[in-house]
Amino acid sequence: MCAEELDFVEKYDLLGCIQCGRCTGGCPVALRTDLRVRCFMNDTQNEERLEELSEKPEIWDCTTCFTCAARCPKGLEPLEVLIGLRSLQIEEGKVQPTVRDALESIFKDGNPWGSPRAKRLDWASDLEVEVLEPEAEETTDVLLFICCTDAYDPRVMKAAQALVKVLIAAGVDFGLIGDDESCCGSEVRRLGEEGLFEMCDEENVELLNSFNVNRIVAISPHCYNTLKKEYHGLKVPVLHYTELVAELLEDGKLELPKEVAKVVTYHDPCFLGKQNDIYDEPRYVITRIPGVDFREFDRCRERSLCCEGGGGKMWVESESKEERLAEIRVEDAKEMGAEVIAVACPFCLLTLEDATKVKGVDEEMQVMDILELLAEAL
Amino acid sequence: MNMVVCVKRVPDTSESEVHIDASGKDIDKSRLSFGINECDNYAVEEAIQIKERLEGAVTVISLGSKESDEVIRMALAKGGDEAIRLEDDAFAGGDALAVAKALAAAIKGLEYDMVFTGALTDDDGYAAVPVALAELLGVPHATYVKKVEILEPGKKAKVGRELEGGLMEFLEIDMPCVLGIQTGINEPRYASFKGIKQAAKKEIALKSAADLGLDVSDVGEAGSWAVLEQFTPPVVGEMAEILEGEPDETAAKLAAILKEKGLV
Amino acid sequence: MKDIFVLIEHRRGEMRDVSVEMLSGAAKLGGTVVAVLLGKDVDAFAEKATGYADKVLYVNDAMYENYNSELYQKALSALIREHGPGVVLMGNTAQGVDLAPALAVELNAPLVTDVTALEMDGDKPKPTRQFYGGKLDAHLAMKDADLYILTIREATFVAEEPSKSGEVVKADNPVSEEIPYRKFLEYVEPEVGEVDITQSNLLVGVGRGIREDKNMPVVEELAQAIGADLAASRAVVDAGWLPSDRQVGISGKTVKPKLYLAVGISGAFQHVTGMKGAEVIVAINKDPDAPIFGIADYGIVDDLFKVVPKLVEKIKESKGA
Ligand SMILES: Cc1cc2nc3c(=O)[nH]c(=O)nc-3n(C[C@H](O)[C@H](O)[C@H](O)COP(=O)(O)OP(=O)(O)OC[C@H]3O[C@@H](n4cnc5c(N)ncnc54)[C@H](O)[C@@H]3O)c2cc1C
Ligand SMILES: Cc1cc2nc3c(=O)[nH]c(=O)nc-3n(C[C@H](O)[C@H](O)[C@H](O)COP(=O)(O)OP(=O)(O)OC[C@H]3O[C@@H](n4cnc5c(N)ncnc54)[C@H](O)[C@@H]3O)c2cc1C
Ligand code: SF4
Ligand code: SF4
Repeated sequence: MCAEELDFVEKYDLLGCIQCGRCTGGCPVALRTDLRVRCFMNDTQNEERLEELSEKPEIWDCTTCFTCAARCPKGLEPLEVLIGLRSLQIEEGKVQPTVRDALESIFKDGNPWGSPRAKRLDWASDLEVEVLEPEAEETTDVLLFICCTDAYDPRVMKAAQALVKVLIAAGVDFGLIGDDESCCGSEVRRLGEEGLFEMCDEENVELLNSFNVNRIVAISPHCYNTLKKEYHGLKVPVLHYTELVAELLEDGKLELPKEVAKVVTYHDPCFLGKQNDIYDEPRYVITRIPGVDFREFDRCRERSLCCEGGGGKMWVESESKEERLAEIRVEDAKEMGAEVIAVACPFCLLTLEDATKVKGVDEEMQVMDILELLAEAL
Repeated sequence: MNMVVCVKRVPDTSESEVHIDASGKDIDKSRLSFGINECDNYAVEEAIQIKERLEGAVTVISLGSKESDEVIRMALAKGGDEAIRLEDDAFAGGDALAVAKALAAAIKGLEYDMVFTGALTDDDGYAAVPVALAELLGVPHATYVKKVEILEPGKKAKVGRELEGGLMEFLEIDMPCVLGIQTGINEPRYASFKGIKQAAKKEIALKSAADLGLDVSDVGEAGSWAVLEQFTPPVVGEMAEILEGEPDETAAKLAAILKEKGLV
Repeated sequence: MKDIFVLIEHRRGEMRDVSVEMLSGAAKLGGTVVAVLLGKDVDAFAEKATGYADKVLYVNDAMYENYNSELYQKALSALIREHGPGVVLMGNTAQGVDLAPALAVELNAPLVTDVTALEMDGDKPKPTRQFYGGKLDAHLAMKDADLYILTIREATFVAEEPSKSGEVVKADNPVSEEIPYRKFLEYVEPEVGEVDITQSNLLVGVGRGIREDKNMPVVEELAQAIGADLAASRAVVDAGWLPSDRQVGISGKTVKPKLYLAVGISGAFQHVTGMKGAEVIVAINKDPDAPIFGIADYGIVDDLFKVVPKLVEKIKESKGA
């Protein structure tokens, strides 16, 4: 390990921290695990303690929801310190087998699910979609960037399939990358595997820049955030699908003839809301669906509760026996009489749907991607 | 303690459909991803753990084309010290004994106390290289090894072999020796991307059949006894075979299937 | 046609099934079947082998009480040199695999391991074996040789009823002294209590379909009847019905048992990722559309509380038989 990598104080501006504790105060997982992020802002100033701190299991409890950073009066990003500690473990090769396997699978097959690259496009096998050629003469308006979870998880791929149907209905000129598409690396970076993330950045930027398109639309907020804010050198703008669909509705290109008579609430994904201030578009889209009775969570928008799906949590189980945050979310939704929790992120879809089963309300309450609601309204 | 680890780069076919190519003697590998053979990953970890405990050096050897450098580098990133790759057109089409001959020729010139290989490969799965290699080197061996305890560095080890049904057979073995390592013996570490990149700076020594003093008629297809005539797909269905009937009947059918497959 | 040698495998006072299977299979290949038995006072095995072999070559010596591949190799190579068989068969077992390749190198004989089907073309075997984890059958042709060594996968041949009455020939032990460089120490049974599901050969996976803690004995009995360990979906671990080290899936363990019997598990992707490498997957689920049936080899669509007790019964019967 070189000294430069160990210099946490400078890298994360630790001396700027006034130990006010707003970060821990807002941290959703502090409710159920031992993670106290403020302490790490203090303790990591001591270089000699870094190794010991990096071995604490709670550094893996952080969902990288960004609440701490959003609340810090000094503009610091405490979660990055935790990611930095994870990096130390990664460089030592000391990570949970589940994390190791996910990272090795990304290196080998371009997805964290241990699934072959050759099956990347199976989700679209029954759909009329165009796979774009690199360096094409003709410009295509939209290039879809499909998340690995949408591509391989049979439950989540329904959202991707719905997206295709919606875009076809709206007459959008769009295409897919095909099985050269690779993981965006959002989770890779948050698991602390910086080197592999750099590879994702370089290779994906080169791949994406090879397409003659006006813009890229990501289905997952995690991919969206990474492509838009963490990649270097992308030539075209990146949108989340809710932005595109809102535009299509506004321009009258997308018509929703059918009623969906349901009580619907919306769960803000951290990577769309807190991290990218996209709060209005999803709500605009949902409320344009005829028949929908829309209700807000008490904790919504900036104050929305994290579902615990991000930050590598897919592969790391917290030891806590306390109720999962997604379960709290489902209870709140039940209380307000929601029949559908609408989401706009593959991880939220998984964690919340799972929580409806744990709570035994999966008969009366559905978790659906906004795209699936839209497809019902077509 | 000086150790040698043999690693093979293999296609990952665990979840992919395997298509036979036009020749009928090979598969279409164009859409497959490749990586280190699973057992070999454990063999690497075992060698490195011993090195960390007792000091010494680990030499990584692979027989294969340039692409094999990728798995060699991964082993180097985890703590391997030196690397050798055996490459020669003459090695092509060799069976397990022919591969063992080439590996033996490369290892003979090294100073070693223990040679680790995987117990078997995910592709061909002959499970023959470690035992044949030991015979060629004239040293004792054990394969299906799931426990290694060094009794006297450079002299003696106690090893546990995993037999059918999970029974362990313990034996004492003199060094130098060859051990065929089984999965599950340890928990392989992660090789970070940075580590692999740094390992790329280490030199991988290339050796041809001539460098190893091998006659081309001894290795590859010429030096092999078995020749592949043809691949055929085995008959298996895609979806589950649903057993029909009342609970009585379905249970009986399932019990019979489990018995026939030797699972109960 | 030259003789076929079949190496009898035994361990801790039991002759292993693969021995009778190979003898039964060898009888169909034509030629004289010679059972080769190395052991200490295992006359009963020699006797049993006469029902399947034309001749039983029996070396009785204390040094063969426990298997040691180096000793076996010395004895076998001497016997082979003396008797000149055309084919040697042994089980593709932890014993056979530890021995055959070295013997083949010593005798400069062709070797094919893990054979799953075998025919003869005169004195020359035409073996079939699997590549890529069973995804392809490979039909092999052998070059000309005087002797071929093959290891045969268990259950490749069917064990028949005894139909021969061979003679037992007691052979002198061709090995004069113990070898110092590899010594048998002991057998150790797998530890009970401390279950590591990644190491289990047989697993019964339990899902939310079990409904309540008090129903767990239903699947516990099944596991016991099969000799399997219990694994679980996250739903069951969350509920506290099994400890978290039994969880299979993306945030649990990855398992590759010979058998994974999923009971009341829907087959969510997060679960399936951890167990799809199992050799045989069986699912019992009342929902015919449960995704688990998409990856299972065999399925029963029914109420687990009706099927599982019956299954326990049938398995016990078949074991008793
Ligand atoms: C008919 C036939 C055709 C073949 N054609 C080709 C071909 O076209 N191209 C080709 O490359 N090979 C070819 N092979 C070789 C084959 O792929 C295997 O490498 C060889 O048979 C070794 O057997 P195995 O992989 O089953 O090793 P096993 O005996 O199962 O391997 C056990 C261990 O030995 C070590 N080991 C095995 N192979 C290597 C290696 N290459 N380098 C380092 N360590 C190793 C590993 O530690 C491994 O875990 C052919 C083999 C046959 C029988
Ligand atoms: C971040 C994250 C990580 C996760 N990690 C894991 C993981 O590592 N491992 C894991 O397993 N899950 C994991 N999950 C949860 C996973 O998504 C599923 O929710 C879970 O696997 C479902 O468990 P199950 O199949 O037991 O329950 P269910 O999906 O509820 O299935 C129960 C099944 O039982 C059947 N059934 C009910 N009654 C009967 C009866 N009487 N007879 C027969 N069948 C019956 C039903 O038809 C149903 O198919 C994770 C989820 C998330 C969000
Ligand atoms: S909120 Fe910011 S300033 Fe306050 S303790 Fe946390 S990191 Fe320090
Ligand atoms: S990112 Fe979220 S989970 Fe992580 S420390 Fe900050 S507030 Fe807590």
